[in-house]
Amino acid sequence: MVKFLSEEWITYGKQFMLEKIDPVKDLKNLTTSLLCVIENVPPKGTTMNLYLEFQQGKLTDLIVNTSDTFTEKEAVFVITGLYGTYKDIIKGNMSLSMALLKNRLKLKGSKLEALRLIKPIDVVIDSLRKITDEFEG
Amino acid sequence: MKSTSETTSDKTMLKDAVAIAKKGTHCGMCRIDFLGTGLCPSGKKHSYLAYWPQGRMELVKHLSEGRIKPTEKLREIANSCTLCGICDRQCNFTTQLRPEKVARAIKDYVNHLDQSEFQSVPEDDILRGLREIVGDEWATNDPNIIVSYTRSIIPPDVELQYYIVMPESTAQVSNIIKFANKHNIPYMARSGGTTCSVTASYVLIKAFSLDHGIVIDLLRLKKLEIHPESSTAVVGAGVTTFELQKAAYSHKLRVLAAEAGAHYCSNIATTGIISTWGNTYGGFADNFVDATQVDEKGVITKHSDTGILNPYSTETGFANVTMTPSKIITEAVVKLHPVFDDEVAVFVPFTHLKDALNMVVKLGKRDVGLSLAVLSAKYLAEFLSPTIELSKDFEYICKNYLKLNWVVSVIGTKDDQKIVEDMAEYTMDQPLMKSLILGAPRFSALKDSEFLRILSEEDDPLKALFAGPMRKHLEKSLDPSPEQIAKVYDTDLQGFFKKIYSKPEMTDVVWLHAFRILPTRMLRQRMFSGPGGSIWTGDMNHILKWIQMFSDVGDKYQLEHSLGFITPLDHGNFVYMEYDYFFDHNDPEHGHKVGKTFIETMEQSYVMGKVITLLDYLFKGTYRKEHVLYPLPEGISKEEQVMFKELLESTLGGEETW
Repeated sequence: MVKFLSEEWITYGKQFMLEKIDPVKDLKNLTTSLLCVIENVPPKGTTMNLYLEFQQGKLTDLIVNTSDTFTEKEAVFVITGLYGTYKDIIKGNMSLSMALLKNRLKLKGSKLEALRLIKPIDVVIDSLRKITDEFEG
Repeated sequence: MKSTSETTSDKTMLKDAVAIAKKGTHCGMCRIDFLGTGLCPSGKKHSYLAYWPQGRMELVKHLSEGRIKPTEKLREIANSCTLCGICDRQCNFTTQLRPEKVARAIKDYVNHLDQSEFQSVPEDDILRGLREIVGDEWATNDPNIIVSYTRSIIPPDVELQYYIVMPESTAQVSNIIKFANKHNIPYMARSGGTTCSVTASYVLIKAFSLDHGIVIDLLRLKKLEIHPESSTAVVGAGVTTFELQKAAYSHKLRVLAAEAGAHYCSNIATTGIISTWGNTYGGFADNFVDATQVDEKGVITKHSDTGILNPYSTETGFANVTMTPSKIITEAVVKLHPVFDDEVAVFVPFTHLKDALNMVVKLGKRDVGLSLAVLSAKYLAEFLSPTIELSKDFEYICKNYLKLNWVVSVIGTKDDQKIVEDMAEYTMDQPLMKSLILGAPRFSALKDSEFLRILSEEDDPLKALFAGPMRKHLEKSLDPSPEQIAKVYDTDLQGFFKKIYSKPEMTDVVWLHAFRILPTRMLRQRMFSGPGGSIWTGDMNHILKWIQMFSDVGDKYQLEHSLGFITPLDHGNFVYMEYDYFFDHNDPEHGHKVGKTFIETMEQSYVMGKVITLLDYLFKGTYRKEHVLYPLPEGISKEEQVMFKELLESTLGGEETW
């Protein structure tokens, strides 16, 4: 169990998803990319970016950096929100789709297409929950 | 909760108060002066919900359950009530409750507490920051105040990890949001709170409430200016429809009216104003010319600002469903419409819905009338009857003796009246409606009478009653008078209600339509949920099939249900329909059923197509109506139906929780 967005978290996250998530059964051969823009990360209020890419249900890329912009990759979906909101999602206090419906997160990309990904993405979040036990603030 | 000196009578008092409080439905009518009594002095002075009769009802429930411990604020809440009786008069008119007993029970409870039982609530950094923005008095983390917001923005049964803050300006709202973001705290604005209170017992509460964080109570944004020269009004987010309508009427102007206790700005943001005046005045967002909004970053914009992103751009369909307004409207410039000297009310009774629907659509397409609606017999009975018992008999008589299942209600000029009277074989005019209002107790008492039995044997009882000689017999037997109707109230309130019903406006159907104080009576029996939406009028059978679907779902879940009203929109090209399900908000099983009902009716509406469901324009009120109503949606595919269910499961939990 590690701290959300830390170096260890990235390592464990990759490993956990590769080992524990079934590309076909759990992620339905998901092929997409998702950039989570996490604003106001304590203690300094910085912006962090979490980029996830999947090919045929396999995690092919996971990047975390601290920057107001993310130029390394172009994601199909960009989801922007406060650190506190992501914390609530990872802790299981709120689902990703509920955060979107309640405008706690902003989605850039087709909402209809995003709906198709609800179940697989929930699996990804669930796996991240299992490795995360510490948050800033 | 227990003090050493507690007696049996204290317990009884508290028990009685809780019983009253449980019936409370957060209608919010105690926060408007709709009977000319003045407002609750305590609520007016302190503003927080806990100081209003509505909030005290929630407070007493939680005190009795031991969910909160007494604080000094509780003493203040108790002592601020002067026992003036205004709340009893107001609440009795709409719901027959006696909230003053609740206030007395809280006073009594506080009086029996030892000083050592009052807990202190320490100020923390967040509260300190909020107080810097709004002043010490207008931000709190006191559980005795917080708990009063339960069921009207705070879900039942959650930890009270909240702050309540009451800004008085747009700038303060902006600063609160910036502060909340800086500290990663969620927030939500509250106006009347009725949307949340309706959903509080079932699954939608998860979507409509704030799970923790900062409640921004907008009540103090009370700016209200009428500009007769431009027929507009500037309305702050704390202003209710009733207050706005009253101010507009003093200039012989009228606003598109939603429910009396609803806050006008919030209504714009939530659904746009849905009203029976919408066909003529324009539906949804057509009634505001400008709006000051604060976005999720705390940035203040005006709708009229150049350079803002197109606020009307939106994806259509269920994928675009949203459960919270994207921005907080703190002020709006609202259109006002002329009140004509020759306005009249005329009602056309019908046995069959199809006939009533045909007439209202025809009138809508021809732009006849200012306010148009098909009302169910239930609505008619509820609106006109001073008590729930009388309304049940009233409705029974309408349906079983008179075959009066529907009325088309038209408010218009005398020119409109002529057109309607030419179209209808017989009508119910204003004098008859006045007789029915003042004579409602006698009318209901006619149940099982010889008069009605004879009438019911007529081929067309409605014609015999409203266009034949029976009418004068009916009016005579009703003995309509303020004295007569006042007798149905508690003895100590009869004098007051005699005066109230002597006021001309209380029997003036045009005034009652414009000020919308009677629909709150729908909440006296129990809570109701009103899903529905707009439907294209090009296929009448499709509309009837859609309405039947709502009825079938109600039967399936064994809930009391009834069509509420249908009103044309967009020159009769559409009608808006509300279908009501009544449920006991204190019974979890009922909550479960109504949750399933809401979701199933919305799903079936998407499948049927040509329907813009309530979900489609919920929290999109600032969009123009064209964006809400067009393009006509096709029925969704099987795959999309699965996706819709997955969306709901992901947000609201699995089907077993609905």
